[in-house]
Amino acid sequence: MDLLWTISTALLLCSLLSILWKESDRRRNRNCYLLDFVCYKPSDDRKLSTELCSDIIARNKRLSVPDYKFLLKAVVNSGISEETYGPRSIIEGREECPTHDDCVDEVDDCMYRTLDQLFLRTGVSPIDVDVLVVNVSMFAPSPSLTSRIVNRYSMREDVKTFSLAGMGCSASPIAIDLVNNIFKTRKRTLAVVVTSESIAPNWYCGTDKSMMLGNCLFRSGGCSFMLTNDPSLRHRAKMSLKCLVRAHIGADDDAYSCAIQKEDDEGRVGFHLSKSLPKAAVRAFAENLQRLAPKVLPVGELALYAVRGLRHRLWRSKEAKTDAATAARVNFKSGVDHFCLHTGGAAVIDAVGRALGLAKYDVEPARMTLHRWGNTSASSLWYVLGYMEAKKRLRRKDRVLMLSFGAGFKCNSCLWEVLRDLNDGGAWEDCIRAYPPQTLVNPFMEKFRWVKEA
Amino acid sequence: MRAVPLPRFLSSVKLGYLNVVNHLLAFPIIPVMVAVLLQVLELGPDELIAHWRSLGIDTIHALCTIFTVVVVATASFMSRPRPVYLVDHACFRPPRTFRVPFATFFEHASFMPFFDEKSVRFQVRILESSGLGEETCLPLANRCIPPCPSMEAACAEARLVIFSAIDELIAKTGLKPRDVDILVVNCSLFSPTPSLSAMIVNKYKMRSNIMSFNLSGMGCSAGLISIDLARSLLQAHPNSYALVVSTEIITPNFYAGNERSMLLPNCLFRMGAAAVLLSNSRREEDRAKYRLLHVVRTHEGADDRAYRCVYEEEDGEDNSGISLSKELMAVAGEALRANITAVGPLVLPVTEQLLFLASLVARRLLGPRGGKPYIPDFKRAFEHLCIHAGGRAVIDELQRSLGLPPALVEASRMTLHRFGNTSSSSLWYELAYIEAKGRMRRGDRVWMIGFGSGFKCNSAVWRCLRTPKAPVDGPWSDCIHRYPVHVPDMVKLL
Repeated sequence: MDLLWTISTALLLCSLLSILWKESDRRRNRNCYLLDFVCYKPSDDRKLSTELCSDIIARNKRLSVPDYKFLLKAVVNSGISEETYGPRSIIEGREECPTHDDCVDEVDDCMYRTLDQLFLRTGVSPIDVDVLVVNVSMFAPSPSLTSRIVNRYSMREDVKTFSLAGMGCSASPIAIDLVNNIFKTRKRTLAVVVTSESIAPNWYCGTDKSMMLGNCLFRSGGCSFMLTNDPSLRHRAKMSLKCLVRAHIGADDDAYSCAIQKEDDEGRVGFHLSKSLPKAAVRAFAENLQRLAPKVLPVGELALYAVRGLRHRLWRSKEAKTDAATAARVNFKSGVDHFCLHTGGAAVIDAVGRALGLAKYDVEPARMTLHRWGNTSASSLWYVLGYMEAKKRLRRKDRVLMLSFGAGFKCNSCLWEVLRDLNDGGAWEDCIRAYPPQTLVNPFMEKFRWVKEA
Repeated sequence: MRAVPLPRFLSSVKLGYLNVVNHLLAFPIIPVMVAVLLQVLELGPDELIAHWRSLGIDTIHALCTIFTVVVVATASFMSRPRPVYLVDHACFRPPRTFRVPFATFFEHASFMPFFDEKSVRFQVRILESSGLGEETCLPLANRCIPPCPSMEAACAEARLVIFSAIDELIAKTGLKPRDVDILVVNCSLFSPTPSLSAMIVNKYKMRSNIMSFNLSGMGCSAGLISIDLARSLLQAHPNSYALVVSTEIITPNFYAGNERSMLLPNCLFRMGAAAVLLSNSRREEDRAKYRLLHVVRTHEGADDRAYRCVYEEEDGEDNSGISLSKELMAVAGEALRANITAVGPLVLPVTEQLLFLASLVARRLLGPRGGKPYIPDFKRAFEHLCIHAGGRAVIDELQRSLGLPPALVEASRMTLHRFGNTSSSSLWYELAYIEAKGRMRRGDRVWMIGFGSGFKCNSAVWRCLRTPKAPVDGPWSDCIHRYPVHVPDMVKLL
């Protein structure tokens, strides 16, 4: 009898333990750790000063004088410094007819430089990579960019590659989402993600004002980063992914067409930015925050927000409150320590900062990234993160929110938790001491003052 | 963390070893159970009851044990990865007005100002032995003289082919666009911003929390890459629906030069698109057509020869096009062998695997004297085969190297004849052919093989869950009665 009793109890315990072990194993392997990231620093001969920008713009003989002034004004007031980078083909005068090799070389330089660094720093061999994701929105050659990397680094036959294209400036969180979902189905997986943008084939050579702004703001940049769900690598990881929210309001026609690649009246392809873009951005932003807030904010803050909302509904206020203003009443700083905002432009950063109730200190990384690197599209978030790390702001247990907007119209966000104190200089190594600068005003403001007065 | 890739032979041995180890418990337990069962059967019912009473098990113990077994079984059952079902699929049916018979192709090529006479004759010779028929379709922009490949025209083609396929899928399945949780689109040679996936979200007013992905540049095998991605996403999200759209947009990719290796795509690529609805919802178990068993991807990009055999570049006159190298067949054969080595252990019966292993060992130990390499009989693993209709040469090469009878490659040949090379969607046209011919039966296994730039060879294995009811509505509805046709080796045009 005793033996029987022992056996039954043992059986019961074993089964309970096995269920618990299976569950905990599943949870341990569901984490997504950021091992390291490397931002792209092009060579100095590719720097685009305001003067050089003005020369490049002037090469377009189709532009009238008012158009030229409009563009120069955009460049001078953009908050972008003299240190940003452009593609070689544009600097050398081939902006109207770049060759296929120009486009490929531009992306290759970014991918290979950052990947060489990434493999060196992490000590991981390319043959150990299980998943490879590349996102470059406006250039998708055959074979794909992922195949170029597989060939260059002789990766394994069974490596899972995914080449995302057309997904806009918010594609970084999309790539992370893809990898995170694969992590939920496979144990001990190592993923490498490369995010960049192709500028060489996308210079607009026409006279449509709505398409010219891209020329002024976009700059060369990129980032490669390594993710893993292997719990044994946790001690080497920089950050751990806590949650990811994607909001796609493409169902609305205005939102879908507010940032779209199309031909102008003369048949030249350009990236059209419409006047309804800020409205679409606000809507997408609100949509994203609605789903993000419960995952990110502490219960107390959510309760306060609920109470405020209830009060507002019961005692209807006569003032019209927009979604953005409503969001301002939620204090995101209660659940987030650092904010990586997409550097779409000075106006975008300021608007998002106001909506989230952020101080100058919080938007400084984004403003400085815009200043130093320009709008590098999907990879901008990583330069902002690099600034925070170089400034030694990232401490263990800090929470970092990445927020970006992109064509579609999408607003994507992800929250990371820092796993250890970070202090690597990265791409900011040689210039972080000069930041923040005394002034963000373009040094050519004097020279081009006639632009301001026009 | 340093790892060295195992040579192929050792990989097979390793796979075998893994299979044995994974099922190690089965090896001692099954004989023991059989022995006990035989012993029990020998005893009479009275003796059995006496044995039972002597154990002294009271109710509580019995209940505990039963409870434990039930709980563990339920937990294991619930935590299994949910199967991925293919609810239905639909293909774009090109209108007759888009047809490009040989005579039209020849005439247009002759009038193009940038083709020299040699190039025209070369393209016609390719067409003569291509295996294409007279009903393949090109988009409107490509039928202008010269073609006008504007972005507007490319978007119009995309809207036409993609929305037609999705509309048909919605009609077949009753799918509500707002129920789509995952959207994966692949189109290799055209990727506008916003992406084609955003275009679909906009047209069908899909939800704002949709997980959409747009793959581009991944070649003719990208359809199976999309299926792989959708499967991973479905495994991470229970009770979901995934819409996979595979297409190739022809408009922007006309080659206007005279380089021979780059003229082939002009001759072979045609309009097509497919929309596939996948789900892991238990509700769909009753009406799903197929179940996805395996997806195996092989990437030969590490080998320079394979990497460069399908390559986009500019010719001497700055015309952009895709060049196909002369080594394409050899590379495709090697990629297929690599893929088969991975697929084989998953699908082949044990006897075939052992024979393959024995042949491998013999060749390793004895060299060429060990005999010819044993090619596993894949007919024992699959009832149907869908090989990417890349061109007649690819199908011929696969038929030869796998030792396949004509019946197994008929779907590929007929798809190439009727629709041309529609790139990543061709596999779905082939599946539709098999269904339209009434050959698909419940329990049949289908092997889809896609090849593409990179160089990649991807496979998917499906099992049919219910025999499709005749007549099957699809892209073959209006012409299946004419098929199969005899496709001559050469159709004399000049």
